Amino acid sequence: MRGIKKFKIDTKELSQKEKVLFKKLISAAELIAPLYLKQKNNKHPGANFYPYDATKEEIERAARKNPAILSSYTFVERDKAGKLIAIPYHLKFKKELKPISEFLEEAADLSEDKNFSLYLRSRAKSLLDDNYEKSEIIWLKTKPFKFSFIIGPIERYLDRLFFKKCAYQSWVGFLDEKKTKEAEKIKNAILTGRRKILSGSEKAEISKLGIQVDRTAIFSGLIADFMFTGTNLPNDVKLMEKYGSKLTIFESSLESKFKGDHLPIFKAVFDKKFQKSYSEEDLYKGSLRCILLHEISHSLIRYRDAEERLKDLFPVFDELYAYILGIKNCGILFLKGVMNQKELEAILIMHICRNFTWWLDSIKNPDVKHYAIGAVIAQNFFLKEGAMREKGGISWPNFTKLFICINELSRLLEYYLAVGSYEEAKEFIGEYSSFNVFKRFSPQLTKISKLK
Amino acid sequence: MAEEKKFYLTEEGLERIRKEYESLKELRLAKTRRESPEILYSEDLNPEYLAFREDINFLGSKIIEFENIIKNAELIRPPKKEKQNIIDLGATVLVEINGEIDEFRLVGTLEADPSNRKISNESPIGQALLGKRVGETVVIKTPIVNHACKITKIKYNNIGKL
Repeated sequence: MRGIKKFKIDTKELSQKEKVLFKKLISAAELIAPLYLKQKNNKHPGANFYPYDATKEEIERAARKNPAILSSYTFVERDKAGKLIAIPYHLKFKKELKPISEFLEEAADLSEDKNFSLYLRSRAKSLLDDNYEKSEIIWLKTKPFKFSFIIGPIERYLDRLFFKKCAYQSWVGFLDEKKTKEAEKIKNAILTGRRKILSGSEKAEISKLGIQVDRTAIFSGLIADFMFTGTNLPNDVKLMEKYGSKLTIFESSLESKFKGDHLPIFKAVFDKKFQKSYSEEDLYKGSLRCILLHEISHSLIRYRDAEERLKDLFPVFDELYAYILGIKNCGILFLKGVMNQKELEAILIMHICRNFTWWLDSIKNPDVKHYAIGAVIAQNFFLKEGAMREKGGISWPNFTKLFICINELSRLLEYYLAVGSYEEAKEFIGEYSSFNVFKRFSPQLTKISKLK
Repeated sequence: MAEEKKFYLTEEGLERIRKEYESLKELRLAKTRRESPEILYSEDLNPEYLAFREDINFLGSKIIEFENIIKNAELIRPPKKEKQNIIDLGATVLVEINGEIDEFRLVGTLEADPSNRKISNESPIGQALLGKRVGETVVIKTPIVNHACKITKIKYNNIGKL
């Protein structure tokens, strides 16, 4: 089914009533995919959110008179006179959203967790009026529920024109308590330090950071297309400052990405002798920590004005810096004895493999291009600074130099996100965004299905 | 003869180890008394007996481990006033490292818990900081990560507690 990705998970620990509830959530999630597909169109930078013939300037002009034009929850269309008008999602999809909302109400009736019921009812209402704040606050203020469930228009990556419009997505899963506790320890060890902030920047202080590792059963909509292995929500920086944020690691998706992408890439691009030093288990743990550190970092790098200042370039810097700062923080964790050298090396290796993965993903799905641009910047930076040796496409990383690069790149990215101008950010991207750094590895990567 | 490894502990930490040691001994005694002699003295290697023996062996090795810790435990005590500007075990330090300001306490490995700001004296940062004074900048060198670490404050508070 298009726009849906299902994962096999064990549901035997659920009671009969919980199983029915779980099915209701999955049914609601499944109905989200068609809405996402109506938004998606990677032939146009504005996807299907704006008329194809409307220029950026025309949209900006119309938004000055009518701010709803650039609201996160509207489609922009032309009226009979050719004027740009905003159509709210809940009106455009009125018929489709009603059964989704009903599934949520039915699930709320079945839940024995009052807070979860409250959240589901509030979310059911949000879908019908596009007012998501109230349900997001409930979700942020409560402890992780047994069921992990998100639904609604959330991520803005489809809108490559303005990075404003939210695309529909949903996920359903369970909380993995053991892994959540392990992740919590790493988060707490990182959060003991306070980063020095550049003067003049509008740093947002995130009041709290919740964390959960999920055994996911279904991805629907954008998340199924992008196959995220982790996320940190909400995206609204004001809400984040007031109520904190919650990060989720998706075990099912991570396992699938690791086996399908990260591990085959590792085997394809690294020297055979070098490969022998790392077991599959070391590397999986490295990949898990890589995404965990990335998502934690998202809460540490929010600046109130960054999105307005960097506009469509914002996600490139936001995503790349979250990876780089995450790895930089590993250095401190290593010095504190939280992880050993082998574990640290595995994180660095998996970061490189993830860079290749984003490039491969972007070949088929241009909507993930900002991730790929971030990945190519890092890869070019590493190669230029001699952190990776390359001969015939086989690389052997110099971990010491990699760490020096990570620190230097971190300093630069902090500048662009904290105070840099749009022009400076664009120039920086221009300097490091040649994709040849990946393409030269193509012969080694032919075995990976995505390149076939 | 090689010197035995010292285990640096706070008073509270040592007390906890002692309690755990006593409860392990009680558990072993209770388990031995509870088991039926038929299983204990059986010549057949039945699964029940094997499981029992495995449990007893595990408890035995844990007890030896705890005995060794208690025997070689060294209490972390506050240094004399004139030496409180030098980092020793039990010190809470404020440092600047790689663009971050961080505060943590140096403890023995058994009590290390980085998620609660308790760092082992055997960690790379712990090893590098021991014996250093306020104002000093220490370069921590490892095969991968090399960072300069500036010491901005040292204090010795509640040293006997975990």
